[in-house]
Amino acid sequence: MSNDTPETRDTTGRFLKRAAEKAHDLHTVSDEGVHPMAKLLFGWTEAKHIGAIMFWGIGLLGAFLIVLDLFVNRHDYFTFANSTGFYGLYGFAAFSFVVLMGWPLGNLLRRGENYYGDAGGPPADVDPDRPQGPADAHPTYEGDE
Amino acid sequence: MPAFLTALNPGWLLILAGIVAIFLPMRRIRQGIAIGAPLVGIALLALADQNVNHLTASVMGLDLVLYRVDGLSFVFGLAFLIAALLNAIYAWHTDDRVQDGMALAYGGAAIAAAFCGDLMTLFIFWEITAVTSVFMVLGAGTRASYFASMRYLGVQILSGVLLLAGIAYVYQDTGNIGLQVFDDLAAPGALLIFIAFGIKAAFPFLHNWLQDSYPKASVVGAVVLSAFTTKLAVYAFARMFPGQDSLIWIGAVMTCFPVFFAVIENDLRKVLAYSTNNQIGFMICAIGVGTPLALNGAVAHAFADIMFKGLLFMSMGAVLYRTGTTKASELGGLYRSMPWTTIFCLVGAISISAMPLFSAFVTKSMILSAVAHAGLPIIWLMLMFASAGVLEHSGIKIPYFAFFGHDSGKRVKEAPFNMLLAMGMAAFISIAIGLPAVIPGLGYEWLYNLLPYREEAMNYQPFTFDHILTQLQLLVLATFAFVLLKRFGVYPPEKPGTILDTDWLYRKVGFGMAQWAGTVWGKVGPAMTAVFFGITGRAYDRIEAAFSPRGELARGGLTGAMAIWTAALLGLVLLLAFITVG
Repeated sequence: MSNDTPETRDTTGRFLKRAAEKAHDLHTVSDEGVHPMAKLLFGWTEAKHIGAIMFWGIGLLGAFLIVLDLFVNRHDYFTFANSTGFYGLYGFAAFSFVVLMGWPLGNLLRRGENYYGDAGGPPADVDPDRPQGPADAHPTYEGDE
Repeated sequence: MPAFLTALNPGWLLILAGIVAIFLPMRRIRQGIAIGAPLVGIALLALADQNVNHLTASVMGLDLVLYRVDGLSFVFGLAFLIAALLNAIYAWHTDDRVQDGMALAYGGAAIAAAFCGDLMTLFIFWEITAVTSVFMVLGAGTRASYFASMRYLGVQILSGVLLLAGIAYVYQDTGNIGLQVFDDLAAPGALLIFIAFGIKAAFPFLHNWLQDSYPKASVVGAVVLSAFTTKLAVYAFARMFPGQDSLIWIGAVMTCFPVFFAVIENDLRKVLAYSTNNQIGFMICAIGVGTPLALNGAVAHAFADIMFKGLLFMSMGAVLYRTGTTKASELGGLYRSMPWTTIFCLVGAISISAMPLFSAFVTKSMILSAVAHAGLPIIWLMLMFASAGVLEHSGIKIPYFAFFGHDSGKRVKEAPFNMLLAMGMAAFISIAIGLPAVIPGLGYEWLYNLLPYREEAMNYQPFTFDHILTQLQLLVLATFAFVLLKRFGVYPPEKPGTILDTDWLYRKVGFGMAQWAGTVWGKVGPAMTAVFFGITGRAYDRIEAAFSPRGELARGGLTGAMAIWTAALLGLVLLLAFITVG
């Protein structure tokens, strides 16, 4: 055996992971192609009801910021900007307007991908080992519908 | 420091290094030069005295100032040098002599242009940026990128030609080609120079070259392109047109209109191109206001933008490199494979959205304050509207559709280490200059210290309770709008397609008319030739029938006919002579 460092066990008798192994795990992509850091950093985005949690969380935070504004005497250069919650409501309205304008503008301005002639593939300097073809683009795993 | 080093413009150093790199086949040495040259350049710049002409020359009676540093050009030069360094690191995994060399020379030309002191030198480096940068687009090697690069080159050269024409007028009028502030656009040459700069700054209706070429550039090329050309134009405007009223409105329109295109655009690199447009708008508007606070804001925002926009282009470049596409409709869920790229992209996205503790918060706020101080409520509302728009397309859309959202099922490798390193450095700068100055001189004060109006900058307080509260309100409620629209399914889906912009006018209507004119000429030309030959042929036949040896006059009754003709002509001449004399 090339690995001659003694294997240590914890009190229950299970093998302890060595630091090097842990570090190795943090770099090794799982069989499903998931980077180990992804779970650590963004695992929470897969939590159940994350949509509802985000919706209510951000909503409540926004409401709190507007309520907080009631107790602050701001000194803006423009009097209209001093009204309570002006920034929040303006931001909300502007954002919604921009996004909703996407519907009519999309219908008006969107044409086929090759409208101006062949749009072509990716540039020459992309990774030659990248997954290609429709078969690779959507790998199916056990349990997929 | 030896005299030749004090007189060495860091931009020239990069151009020289770039020329060497083009001919250097040894990959690692070439890349070492590409990383080393900007580092040496930063050292040279740090040691250079300000407001002194380090290198001058006199050519054909023109006094050229080849190297001069002052408060305004220092920040741009430093940002360009840092960008050149990050680009070289980002390109470490590639082996492309032309791209390495041209990227260095392109950055160098932008730096050299920022550090020159006269219009003629500015023009020369202005053109070098055009010629070197086109290789970033050509490097993609696709048919579409070839055509885009030719359109790009045409527009960039047009800008240079207009600049040269403007310089000629200025020289003829004043006899002076030093960099000068034009107060009046009606002054000879001023408008030509204004339009030349406006093309490179991608003013509304002059902006199409940007959205046309950047998304078709190579992975590394788009990152390189994002830093220099447009910001050089911002520098030129800040230098020569500060306080020019028309820039206020142009800038405000520039911030607003790209927002709508960015929402419906599917190619995320094109979204970033529109986002570039929108951020330049903030700077142009501030230059139009022209107060010390506004100019500080424009310069600081340019510095911050070079970092976070570069970062966003780098993250999309990493996605393109690994997956072969940046189309939102084909991406999604990539955080599983590329978590580090996701983190860095999020830093860029939050920075550009001006979240407190990130860079744009301390830079854009100066612009908004300056506009408010100047008493321009409509402009201010437009900029606030655009701020919500930035959050939409760069703050949320880019990371959401690439890394989160619907899982595309793409499982790829994380970006190469060199890409992550470059992104990490840009992310570090984007955070570092947005932090409060807990240690005096660091955090945002580091950047404020470098600004052209240093005292005004140091008196400005970005971290007031009011400002943090209002900015958070804007961002949180706008984000809530996103969550709400998503939840109720009224957020427009990402669909593949080409979005028409004003370049439709020349790429379809203009091109169609040129084609039509070609077809018409193809038919009219031969027809006109046929008519011409018909007429001349008939005339020849007649003449030949009368005068040739086989003709009418050569036949039988020649003598008689000749005598009659001679008599008739003689009579005619006599008659004419009689009339004219009489």
